[in-house]
Amino acid sequence: MRDPRKDLAWPEIAPERYEVFDGPARDLAVSRREMWKMLGAGVLLVFTERLPGAPSGELLSTRLHLGANGAVTLMTGKMEIGQGARTELTQAVAEEMRINPAKVSVVMGDTGLVPDDGGTWASLTTPQTVPVVRRAAAAARGLLPQLKAGEQLPGVVPADVAVTDPKDWRVCGTSLPKVDGRAIVTGEHQYSCDLHTPGMLIGRVKRAPAHKAALESFDSSRAIELPGVEVVRDGNFLGVVAPDRATAEAALGRIKAKWSTEPLPPADKLGEHFKATAREPVFRKGAAYPALLEAGSIADGMAAADETLESTYSLRYIAHVPMEPRSALAEWKDGALTVRCGTQVPFGVRQELSEAFGIAGDKVRVISSDSGGGFGGKHKGECQLEAARLAKAAGKPVMLEWTREEEFTCAYARPAGLLEVRSGFTREGRITAWDFHNYNSGAAGIRPPYDLPNFYCGFHRADSPLRQGSYRSLAAVANTFAREMHAGEIAERLGMDPVELRLKNLKDRRLREALERAAERFGWKGSKGGGGRGSGVACTIEKKGRLALCVELEQDSGGVRVKRMVMAADFGAVINPDNLRNQLTGAMIQGLGGALFEELEYDEERITNPSLMAYRLPRFSDIPEIDVVLIDRRDVPAAGAGEAPITLPAPAIGAALHNATGEWRRSLPLARGGG
Amino acid sequence: MADIEIRVNGESHTVSVDPETPLLWVLRDHLRLTGTKYGCGEAQCGSCTVLLDGEAVRSCVTPVSDVKDGEVTTIEGLAADGGLHPLQQAFLDAAAFQCGYCTPGMIMAGAALLNENRQPSIEETKRALEGNVCRCGAQPRIVEAVMLAARGAGDA
Repeated sequence: MRDPRKDLAWPEIAPERYEVFDGPARDLAVSRREMWKMLGAGVLLVFTERLPGAPSGELLSTRLHLGANGAVTLMTGKMEIGQGARTELTQAVAEEMRINPAKVSVVMGDTGLVPDDGGTWASLTTPQTVPVVRRAAAAARGLLPQLKAGEQLPGVVPADVAVTDPKDWRVCGTSLPKVDGRAIVTGEHQYSCDLHTPGMLIGRVKRAPAHKAALESFDSSRAIELPGVEVVRDGNFLGVVAPDRATAEAALGRIKAKWSTEPLPPADKLGEHFKATAREPVFRKGAAYPALLEAGSIADGMAAADETLESTYSLRYIAHVPMEPRSALAEWKDGALTVRCGTQVPFGVRQELSEAFGIAGDKVRVISSDSGGGFGGKHKGECQLEAARLAKAAGKPVMLEWTREEEFTCAYARPAGLLEVRSGFTREGRITAWDFHNYNSGAAGIRPPYDLPNFYCGFHRADSPLRQGSYRSLAAVANTFAREMHAGEIAERLGMDPVELRLKNLKDRRLREALERAAERFGWKGSKGGGGRGSGVACTIEKKGRLALCVELEQDSGGVRVKRMVMAADFGAVINPDNLRNQLTGAMIQGLGGALFEELEYDEERITNPSLMAYRLPRFSDIPEIDVVLIDRRDVPAAGAGEAPITLPAPAIGAALHNATGEWRRSLPLARGGG
Repeated sequence: MADIEIRVNGESHTVSVDPETPLLWVLRDHLRLTGTKYGCGEAQCGSCTVLLDGEAVRSCVTPVSDVKDGEVTTIEGLAADGGLHPLQQAFLDAAAFQCGYCTPGMIMAGAALLNENRQPSIEETKRALEGNVCRCGAQPRIVEAVMLAARGAGDA
């Protein structure tokens, strides 16, 4: 008999940790003992029951409300973080209900009002939530004739409700401008840092001088001399509340705290550290991102090869740097907690808060505003928890806004990694063996798009010196970098054109087309490298999208300048072409930063470049000419595109640098130190 | 603490603050003009850009006492009569944003550029906006928006 407790004890792990912690799936292959051992390794796990997809049987009234004058309100747990979800979901409702998009409003991320659609992660809004919303809206349309305004939609979403064929789309498939555009350009758009409530206090947190530290003792006597200041200690947490920002800042400066600190292993020995602490990859059935993929035999593949090649790649930690730093406004009332914030995962944050304070989930309400950027960085409830602690102690609403420095030092980083690749291939360019090992950074994107008879792709978990977590496309940046760089190295060894080498090993018809169209638009055939100018190419299948990128750059004593980027992308049916172009372009630019110069630097104690003065981001002068070829396939379900395009700039730029200089730089960032 | 009178968006306000308080926090905390954003606190991202007598300043590093004799314009006061400034309209037309957090600062920096140079080139625009960061990567569209607004100004 099925034990219902198993479902409670082993819910499908929230995807946000999958890249560093591909957790036990429902098949219970992992024993409870092993589970606790893994928890003991210092990985904080938060299990959230996922509801994404809720295919049918969902109450219509939880999803859609009908208002006066034909207005329709959609409710969703997905968030707007700049990627265009609010607009895309508006299009989905308008399309299926045959109404003007202006009649649609979308309530997002208020756990008191909306269904849990899972986190805004893994490019799932388009492939998972849009279909759910389309079905609900199509069902609602069928009921409209018999309903009055304000009347609750009856019943559930039927399993067999028909939705509009993409070939017949009238609202989807068009470039509806961002629905909140006017509020954005007038400054009226409210992010969580813009919120205010009467009687609200301002919080600040006393930070440790080191990345790993424990609070030993503190003296707050001079701080509490200031009017209205309270000091709050809870374990290693030490913070203040004050009536205003200046007083909070002054109080913080008056607290003397003693910390015991733990050193960090040297950044230049990171690879050795990962290898020394690595565990063997384990295959888990049903895992969203399996840590181990195998086919054929590496030994056979090597025996069949004319040549072999071995390379090691690495990448450092980087920061998400959303332009809007985290903030949270927390308020307790009668034992219930309300936190307003900007998060990608409202229900996950609700669960973190509920567990931290030992109160039931229905006593916590998280209301998330649209975020000023997330990029996988706003999954966890650190700032929300701190604000709630301060508010609880103060007995008043508290607003806590992280500083830019806190963003760099207190948020989690994109994992660093070490990647070892060994390949065997024939003189004709067929890859016969592919032995691929990722240490620490994760399993996402580890599956090669190529048609390989013999491969081993393994993700080795390791101990991370810095606190790490999710990032736009997860580990696919690392895995795609190593894989595509290596493909370029094979082509070089064979004296073969890198586009041709890829085509020789690619069966996927759609990726072949994307690669050929990117090369054609770029003018790949006529491109020649040398003398400080070079071209590079990379391609991938990521989150079901097919994409290829060609870049052209110059390198001289002034550093590397990317001149041109041409991407061809196939994400199936395109719901909003202009938004998709905006997304692709933006991800390429963000990827350019990670490829060339972004790096969280640290010494034995702490992160040493926690400011925008020191941490180099892409700026206007870094932006190349960018061209995007969209391949719209109405017969293929729409794939999410927020992440995939960030994976290609690093390998394409790396290959172009080799083309320009003859040198393979195998470590990200490629232009470390300005070179 | 001192009583300081400043003019913002055509109105006078008296605030009681330390004269060294950054203008940003006076705008946000005291006047509740939250369109001006905090991004870094060290004049490195431009999210807090406002106009002081028509020129761009970083409000996060500008002491409030420094603007006593000038006229401050924030994103809320850029357009007259609830309409849109041509550059705001151009940002909409070019869809020159994703998350929108840097947008007010970009628009103010762009407006300052257009005040000084009605027909900037692409290179001049990029240089003028170099200190403003858009993490979403909307830079090509932002340049396009400034070009659109400049073209409109040229036609007028």
